[in-house]
Amino acid sequence: MITQRFKLDKPGEIDLVVPFLTSFEEKEVLGVISATEPGDYKVRVVADHRVPNTFGRVVIKGVAANGARVTVDGMVKIGKDARKTDSFLEMRLLLLDKQSSAVAEPKLEIENNDVRASHAATVGKIDEDQLFYLSSRGIDEPDAKKIIVEGFLKEVTEE
Amino acid sequence: MSKKTDNQTLPEDKLYPLGHTDDVEYSFTAEKGLTEGLVRKISSLKNEPEWMLEIRLKAYKKYLEMKMPTWGGDLSPIDFDDIRYYIKPKNQEAKTWADVPEAIKNTFEKIGVPEAERELLAGVKSQYDSEVVYGSLKKALSEKGVIFLSMDEGLREYPEIVKEHFGKVIPMGDNKLAALNTAVWSGGSFVYVPKNVDVGLPLQAYFRINTERAGQFERTLIIAEEGSKMHYIEGCSAPSFSSASLHAAVVEIYVKKNAKVQYSTVQNWFKNVYNLVTKRARVMENAEMRWVDGNLGSHLTMKYPSCILAGRKAHGEVLSIAWAGEGQHQDTGAKMIHLAPETTSQIISKSISKNGGRATYRGMVHMVPGAWGARSKVVCDALILDEKSRSDTYPVNKIQENDVVLEHEATVSRIGEEQLLYLMSRGIGAEEASTMIVNGFMEPVVKEIPLEYAVEMNRLVGLEMEGSVG
Repeated sequence: MITQRFKLDKPGEIDLVVPFLTSFEEKEVLGVISATEPGDYKVRVVADHRVPNTFGRVVIKGVAANGARVTVDGMVKIGKDARKTDSFLEMRLLLLDKQSSAVAEPKLEIENNDVRASHAATVGKIDEDQLFYLSSRGIDEPDAKKIIVEGFLKEVTEE
Repeated sequence: MSKKTDNQTLPEDKLYPLGHTDDVEYSFTAEKGLTEGLVRKISSLKNEPEWMLEIRLKAYKKYLEMKMPTWGGDLSPIDFDDIRYYIKPKNQEAKTWADVPEAIKNTFEKIGVPEAERELLAGVKSQYDSEVVYGSLKKALSEKGVIFLSMDEGLREYPEIVKEHFGKVIPMGDNKLAALNTAVWSGGSFVYVPKNVDVGLPLQAYFRINTERAGQFERTLIIAEEGSKMHYIEGCSAPSFSSASLHAAVVEIYVKKNAKVQYSTVQNWFKNVYNLVTKRARVMENAEMRWVDGNLGSHLTMKYPSCILAGRKAHGEVLSIAWAGEGQHQDTGAKMIHLAPETTSQIISKSISKNGGRATYRGMVHMVPGAWGARSKVVCDALILDEKSRSDTYPVNKIQENDVVLEHEATVSRIGEEQLLYLMSRGIGAEEASTMIVNGFMEPVVKEIPLEYAVEMNRLVGLEMEGSVG
């Protein structure tokens, strides 16, 4: 499996097309958006499956704070000839304060029936139960939040 | 590959058991095409108040100015100059079943409005082309103060209520087709449910298109006052015609504080109809709106029932099924606009595409700043039954408040081989097994649909699946 990583930690744009042009290719994209300054953070990812028997995973995780605006536009495209494609697109975004916002657009365009294709997206705040657990262990709120965010991003940051 | 089939030609009768036409006399048939003169003519034929004519004329200007939406299905084949924008049947609204003309009764017979239902349903209000020709309202309903009329009657009898609510949830400039509807609307339903009244039995309307090139521009306005409860059912079955028809309806619903409204539609237009509909509800504090939407017919449907969740703890739901067969594009979805704290919404969309059909989910969930405690869950599942067919998912989730939960998931798949193998190992034939799997896939939504539609839907799946395995 080929793994490709990206990180967006300043306002800006990332535009990534992941082509699947050889059968039995397996590709994974792991993306981090760490949006802690005001401004627009835009990520566009297309998993473009053109040939039979390819495997794709796109996982994007992001946190937004201090008035950051995050937009994630993800697309899984499976062409007519791309039989036996297995593709999954995942985007998870955490909003850390009321000034920040997110737009999640997980899209699918499927022109073939012999496929497995799915996407999942969530947007929300830090889980209260996790915060409560950590504070019951004597960890103050800023530290607890930091720990939770690190844990949340771990899946896409760890080598 | 077989040569491209012209979707304007008729599929065989067996593919469309509800396709048929009847001869009905019309007392007024407009020339094709739309002019300001025609807009005035429609208004004067209906003896409308001046303010409604003004709304129509304003909307007509908006319609001319606005651009046709290009983000969805292909609308370019519609020749707007080749459409009759107003047709008035000769028979005026009949009061009792005995007064209903024989030809129309026969049509009801064919589309199978059950006898028992005519008796049972609170008010059967059926639209035959551009005017309601048959309507009955049970005494019990009037005693409760429930008003269930055609939109034209509603305007005549309750002009103040109409004036206060008309075009407020869906302004005329919302989109080009809503502007067109506002300019030339005719028929549709007007429903008013007073405070704390539970209507009980569903209110039902049948809509049909019955003239070649007949455009249908129904306008429905439903007002559910505080604490009231109602269920409105709309079903469509268009007879077979060889030239494209346009259906551009507008449905506006007010769900006031603590009220509950369900609006169920099964559209089964013939496969040459362009069905471009704007449906929206404004949902106030602690109120609930639920759209149940089945799209089986039409050449192209573009329809995204919406809820504006404007009051605290308002709840919105859309449950939809789309079936896209040969020559069909179902571009459907839902919109949930969370404007107030603790508002909740759910969207469940199921689509099936087959024989080169295309099913598109297009939706939006928007949570504005201040909508803290809002929650939304969106689930879109698509089945693609053969390699010629296509499925798309285009959701937008716009979240401007952090104390919220948004979950969105979608899957696209075909009929699982394991599922087929299991059923076949139990002695069920491949075709029947596939039909069972498709029906099972649709079940979570079908079970919310009134029984007669559910039966029709299952029958349709059976018909469409015939000979599909081999």
